[in-house]
Order: sequence, then structure tokens, then C-alpha cells
Amino acid sequence: MLKIDNKADVYTYRILFFILCFLMTVLIGRYYYLQVVEYDRHFSKSQINRVKAVTTYASRGLIFDRNGELLVDNYPTYVLTVIPYKLDDKESSFKELSSILGIESDELNRRYKKYYRGRMLPTIIAKNLSFEQISQIEERKLEFNAFDYRPFNERIYPSSFGYSHLLGYLKEIDRDSIPLLDKNLLYRAGELIGWQGVEKQYERELRYSKGVNYLEVDTYGREVFELEDGKIIALPGENLYLSIDSRLQKFIRDLLEDQKGSVIMSHVNTGEILAMVSSPSYNLDIYRGTTSEEDWDNILKNPDKPLLDRSVAGLYPPGSPFKLITTFNLLENNFIANSDSVMCSGLKEYGGIERGCWREDGHGLTDLTKALSESCNIYFYEKVQLVSLEDWVSTAKNFGFNQVTDIDLPTEKIGLVPDKDFFTKQYGRWGWSERGVLLNLTLGQGDLLVTPIQSLRFINHIATRGKNTPRLRLNLNSKLSYYDSIQYSDRTWDYIENALFEAVNSDFGTARRAMPANQNIPFFAKTGTAQNPHGEPHAWFIGFFEFEGEKYSIVTIVENGGGGATVASPIAGDVVSYFINSNTYIANK
Amino acid sequence: MSQGNAYIGLTAEDLRSRLHILTILLIIFGLTALYSISDNPLSIESSFMRQSIFMMFSFIIYLFVRRISLKIIHDNSTIIFLFAIGLCFIPFFLPKVEYTYRWIDLGFMTIQPSEYLKIGVIIVIAKYLSNNQLKIKTKSVIIIPTLLTMAGAAIVLRQPDLGTSFIVCAPLIPMLLWAGVNGFILFLIIAPFITIIAASNSVFFSVWAVIMLLCFLLARPGVITGFILYFVNIFAGLLTPFAWSFLTDYQKQRVLTFLNPDLDPMGSAYHIIQSVTAIGSGGFFGKGFQQGSQTQLKFLPVQESDFILSVIAEEFGFLGIMVIMAIFFLFIKTLLDIAFRSSDYFSSIVIIGLSSIFLSHLFVNAAMTIGLIPVKGLPLPFVSAGGSFLLSCFIMLGLIINLSENS
Repeated sequence: MLKIDNKADVYTYRILFFILCFLMTVLIGRYYYLQVVEYDRHFSKSQINRVKAVTTYASRGLIFDRNGELLVDNYPTYVLTVIPYKLDDKESSFKELSSILGIESDELNRRYKKYYRGRMLPTIIAKNLSFEQISQIEERKLEFNAFDYRPFNERIYPSSFGYSHLLGYLKEIDRDSIPLLDKNLLYRAGELIGWQGVEKQYERELRYSKGVNYLEVDTYGREVFELEDGKIIALPGENLYLSIDSRLQKFIRDLLEDQKGSVIMSHVNTGEILAMVSSPSYNLDIYRGTTSEEDWDNILKNPDKPLLDRSVAGLYPPGSPFKLITTFNLLENNFIANSDSVMCSGLKEYGGIERGCWREDGHGLTDLTKALSESCNIYFYEKVQLVSLEDWVSTAKNFGFNQVTDIDLPTEKIGLVPDKDFFTKQYGRWGWSERGVLLNLTLGQGDLLVTPIQSLRFINHIATRGKNTPRLRLNLNSKLSYYDSIQYSDRTWDYIENALFEAVNSDFGTARRAMPANQNIPFFAKTGTAQNPHGEPHAWFIGFFEFEGEKYSIVTIVENGGGGATVASPIAGDVVSYFINSNTYIANK
Repeated sequence: MSQGNAYIGLTAEDLRSRLHILTILLIIFGLTALYSISDNPLSIESSFMRQSIFMMFSFIIYLFVRRISLKIIHDNSTIIFLFAIGLCFIPFFLPKVEYTYRWIDLGFMTIQPSEYLKIGVIIVIAKYLSNNQLKIKTKSVIIIPTLLTMAGAAIVLRQPDLGTSFIVCAPLIPMLLWAGVNGFILFLIIAPFITIIAASNSVFFSVWAVIMLLCFLLARPGVITGFILYFVNIFAGLLTPFAWSFLTDYQKQRVLTFLNPDLDPMGSAYHIIQSVTAIGSGGFFGKGFQQGSQTQLKFLPVQESDFILSVIAEEFGFLGIMVIMAIFFLFIKTLLDIAFRSSDYFSSIVIIGLSSIFLSHLFVNAAMTIGLIPVKGLPLPFVSAGGSFLLSCFIMLGLIINLSENS
């Protein structure tokens, strides 16, 4: 077809044919040698002794608080495994077992399917075996020859700290989730993996490395001899030290009993979280596999959502603290002079709708400082008219809203700071006006959503005057890093600081109930009462104080709690008071 | 008409149907072995089912390759080669898959682009060699094919994939030989490699030095040229220990344990020891379908792909091995026959190249399972599980049938 004739000659053909025959002879010869000449040797080797690689495990890293108190420990239990190919009559074996274990045979069947790895590989079907159960199985070893038990570490929480969302929990890996996991960590069905909280965040560090033992086993799989060569020792995971102070954490948890909400406290100079409580909480022991279906149902259907970690994943309208966003815009753009005042009579009309101040008889003549410390709405309705939506949104985003704070927890939500695109998409091109939405936004209402941890970052930015604000973190040994700086003039920062100081220290300041009794510390704060469609308003408190030369910040939100001044401030005050009086962490900074 | 027609008694039609039958036999052998070692052969995750599905997919591609016009392949050979080279660069820009840059992960299957580079190199060299204007008897004729091969092999080596890199080089010598290049020149190409391998052992090295001397004396390349070439070879051998330090750790490890398996009974040699035990314990008749204790108890690693022959050897014995080796022998012999009786020079050279690939895969894979060469991780054509390689085997088969039908 291509008009070039084949020029191959018969000698080349013979050379290549010879090479083929030669290579084939080498292979066949070697197979003959192994399979026929040396057959006896290899056959007896395969029958009597074979080297089998057995995986060995070590313990998962422990978790401590900043003072070295043990928060999460390992607890050895026994698990029951079954080797599928040895199981002659699955149904009857499971029935027999269910009477010993007290677990329905249907349930055993379900677990068998869930954790099945292969005909020859042990599958975990029961956990937390008691000594009596082990001895009963051991007595009937012949009958239960497909079953075996081995030690298995569970998590246990020595203190009442087990109620903390931030720890997270471990989950058994099932067959379906294996393809989604990091291949390098060699997960297998039935093993435990960190599934929430710091257990998930620091999975790589906490997880042990598996080892290998080489055993010589006979035809029946019995171990004859352990070989030392090539053995890889399993290494325990690294311990994790949290920046949390467990006593403070416990104090706050007791304080929030029967309330819904969150309290977070941080050391501003380092970004370390000292306490982070979400309420209501639940006992992490429920994940140990002994919780009944009914109890699970109750937890899942509980309208108070105890499983939700409100500190990082709870979304709330931010309320009055967002008046600060408007304030930054007014001051930085020199839209107002220090002496500018607005007359608050308690009520004012905008675009045909009457809007009121929370104080129905009005604040009277109000300047910016008073508007902030006494949280006057009318002032901000009036002054926000000077600010553009674009500027306002970008200021809010500068302080870290609408993005993660990067705290070392896996479930953080980003919240929402609605911008032009959002409103157009949500309400249509003509369905909203810039002035209208700003009236809501300036009070921290409308479509705004923030998490408590974002509010904490906000107050930390203010406490550090925008420069070198350390990134929030829970791992005491992680490296200190900083958020992007916010460049505002000193005048702006001075003004804000002064207003927040007044909010705590003046007679009518909304945050005055946060000041611990008989203390005179520099304390700066802003409260909020955020209206929402789910009932009573949410009570907010964000603030920072100086103590022994260091700065600390605190955020409190009580869901549907009522007023920020009357509900959130006293809680913050109690926490700060406890902190100062117990004074335990200073030594461990 | 070439002399092949007279030499081989069968028609091209006969040869093609023989090739098809042999391929089907290999596939049946492979699927039987995979069925035997799958825990749950009918589940979609088992290697048996996956292989069956890939088989159907590959067969469709095969039908397509069969239809492409020979002229298109011939005229675009350079583009095909460059395209294959380009494909091989893609994994370097993707995340590593199992610590190497060998694969492109498509989600449902992974593609190993070096599989297609092998074919690309063959086609471009065949076009060069089949050119009428080429003076095949000049020494310089080997330069371009060698450079093309080295370029391909070098990229694959960087991935890093020593085994496939070797396979890329394998067709070069047979193709040059087939095209009529002087045998002594080819000897000069191979000699340095043998020198390097022989350098590991002083006895081998001495024997090789004598053989090489004899070859030089017989071929009489001229006193000075011969003298220089001979001693360059010897020095290359002596310098090998220094070159050793450039190998990566895992390559060193593999070569070392191959040379002395007792060094590391649990690491690389664990594979060889388990494989040899599995093969040897199969005996003459084998332990029977699904009865191999070594394979069924998973002592044997990667048994569905690299060590599939060990499974066959354990369960079907030496008898099974002789059958599958006979099939492979006839398969490659048939390819030689097709190449020989082909009336078109280009087709003929391509088929020789492709049969070298089949043969080198067979040899390297089998030799590895019986401990003759280090563990290389090369699959067995049409038998081993693995979608990408299976697909490339079907493409090569399609190409061969295509070339045979159209020439």
C-alpha cells in the first residue's frame, strides 16, 4: 500500500525466532526447576511454615489542657472479630453469640456487612467485651473457632471535660468511607478515625503509625514463631496540648447550664483560646458505640441541637456590635466631626416606615461616643446615610467576617455579609435599595450572619488596634501567626477605644454589668440585642480587658436570651471575675 | 512479493485468526486466575469484574484502531510520537499518584501515558527506517532511532518507572536488525549495558571481557577503532560503582535484594520469596482452582497484576505454566510470521517492534516472579489485571491486525 516492499530476509527472521526460543527456554527451565525439581522443598515450606505479616497497633496521642491536665485518655477494651472464611454457619453462630453478648443477631449481621474487608481478614463485630464474655467465648473455643478477640483502644474522658464540642470524637471507619480517606495513613475498616473537632483537625499528629510483625504460621494459621528481622514497631501518636484552661471551661459550662449559646475567651496577645463552650452540650461517651438507637434519636431530634458546636458553626445576626463597622467608616472617611450630634426622640421615619430606638423615650442629644456606649439606634440610622454599601461591606470583610478565622477546627462556618450581588440575586434588581438595607445592616440585622468565633476575631482586631492580631488557635504548640493588618488612623482607634470603655464604665453604658465587682481593670466592650425570627432576641457581648499587662477578650452569646445588657453582660462579668480571681493560667502563659 | 510468502505456508487470513484465538485463550486464562483470587468475584469492586468491564471497553477501542487507515498512521507518525511524549509530561503537573508521576487519574480509571509512548516510539522509528532513500548499510543510520528511543526512555525514567523505561528501549535492536542494520553495530549498542551489569561481579566481568574481545576479532572493525571501543567498554564497567550512587534508594534496594535476597527477607525480597514458594509448591499439576494456599491467604502481594503468573503456577502447576507459555510462544511466533510475510516494509517493522514489546513484557514479568531479575512491576499482556495496560495491549493488537489486513 505504501509501495515500499518488505526487505526482511530469512536470516533476520531466524535470529529473532532463536531469541524467542532462547528466552522461552530460560523461563520454562526455571519453572521446571522450581515446580518439578525443587517441588518438595517449596511444598513443605508452603505447608509447614509461612511468613505472615501481622499489623500491630499503638495508642493514639493523648490530649491535655494548657496546665497539663489530661482531657482525653485511652481506655483498653476488647473487640470481637470474625474471620469470614472460617464461618461455616453464620446464622447459628451469630445466634449463639447474641445470647452471650446480649446483642441481637440482626445487629451482628449488620456490623459484619459494614466492616467486612475480605474472606481471609478479621472483621470487627462487637466491642467492649467484658471479662465474663471473653471467658465464655474462650470456653467454647472449638465451637467459636472463627471468632477471636483482641485489645482495642477507646477514648475516655477522665474529667467532665467530655462535654466539650471542640474535642470532637472518633468514628469507626466503614467500607464506604475508605476511598475518601488519606491513603498514606493506611486506614482499614473498623479502625478509629478523628471525625470532628481537634480529633479530626490533628488526626495526622494524634494517629499512631502502624507496625508490622512477621510471624511464621502453620497451615492452620497458628503462630509458630516471631521473626525479629524486618519488624516495624508501631509508634504511638503525638500528644496534643490545647490552649484551653479546663477549669475556666468547666466554670463557663456550669454557668451556661440551661441556656443556649456560646462563650469564648482568648488571650489576645497570642491568639490562644482559653475557653470555648457551646451549650447545650452532650457527653462525648455517646460515640463509644453503646448508645441505643432510641437515645440517638432523642439527641438528633432535640430542637435545641446539642450536637451543633455553636462557637464555630452557630450562625447569628451580629446585632449592635456591628454599629462599630459603621463607626469605622464614618471616622476613617471624616464624615463626622467629634462634636456632631443627633437628636434621638425614640422614633424616626425613614422611607415611609417608622423606626424606633430601643429606648422608647429617646437618648436626647447624642454624639458618637454616647451612641456607641448607650447603643442608640437613631444616631446610626441617621449617620449610616453617609456611607456607601460597598465601603460598609468591605470594612466588615476587613475584620474577617464572611470568611473563616482559620481556627484549628474542621467545622467552621463562614457566615454572610451581604453585598450588592447578594441583594440583587435575593430580591431582584428593583427589590431593594442601598439606603434601605443599610438601615438594617448598621444595626447588625437583615441578612447578616456571623459566628461567635468571628466576633472574637473582630474584638481582637480592635484590642490590637488592627496591627499584628494573632491568629486564633487551640493548639498550644502551633506557631504564632498574624491576620492581615487593618490600617486606620490613631484617631479612629482612640475614638473606638474610648467609646467601648464608656460602654463598660459610664453610668448608662450597656455593658456596665460586665465589670467585675471590686475590680478596677481597663475593660472595653459592646453589647448587642439581635432581633431574629425565632423568638426572643439573641443577647450578645463582645469585649476585651487588660490584666497584669496582657490583653484578654471574651465573646458571649445567649440564644433567644433577651437583652445584651441584661443577659449577656452579667455572664461575661462572671467569667472575667472567675478568671481574675482564680488566676491560674498566668503561670502557664 | 517478499520471500515471506513462500517461506510461511499460511495465508495472512489464517495468521490473523490464529492470533485472535491465541488472544482469547490468554484472556480466558487471566480471567480464570482473577476469578480464583477474588474474594467476591461478582461484586463490582473485584478485580475480576473490573477486568471484565475494561475488557469490553478495550475491545471497542480495538475495533476502532483496526479501522484507521494505514496511510494516516504512516504519514502522521511524528505527530503520534510527539503527542505521546506530551501525554507523558502531563502527570508531572498533576498530584503524585502512589508517590510517582506515572499515572493520570481520570476518576473511573487511571491512564499510564508511557504505555502509549512505547507505541509512538515504534511507529516513528519504523517510518524512518522504511524510507526508501535511507542508506541502511551506513553506520550513522542508528543515530536517529537511538536518540528517539533514549528521549522516550529518559522521560519515563524520570517518572520514575525503570520497568517501562526498559520496555521503551526493548524494540530498538530488533527493529534495527529487521531493517537490515549491520549486526556488529547493534552489538556495539548493547555491549555497554551488558558491561555495566557484568561489572557487579568480577567473574562475570572477566568472561564478558573475553566474549567481547572475540566479537571484536570476528567483526574486524579496524585496529584503532576496535582498540578504542573495546577499552571504552572496559572502563565503563570499571566506572559503574560510581554511577551506582546516582540511583534512587528504592532502585538500589531492589537491585541489591535481587543480587542477594537474603539481605532483606522482609522487604523487596519478601515478594520474591513468597512468589517462588507459591510457584514451587504448585508442583506439576497444581493445587487446583481456588486451592492455592499462598495466594488465597494473601501471602503474595499484588497478585492480581504483577504476580498473576505465580497464582497460575500455584493453582494450575507446571502444566498450566507450560500451556500459557505455549500460548505466548505461538502468539509471538505468529507476530513474527505476520511481519515476515507482510508485503509492506513499514508495517513489517512496526509489527516487529510491537512483538518485542509483548515479548519483553512476558519475559520481564515471568522472570521477576521466579526471581531471575529484580521486582519490576510490569504486568503480563492480556492476563494481568489493570485497565490502562490492557487497553494498550488491545490497541497494539488492533494495530497489528490493521497493518496485516492493509498491506
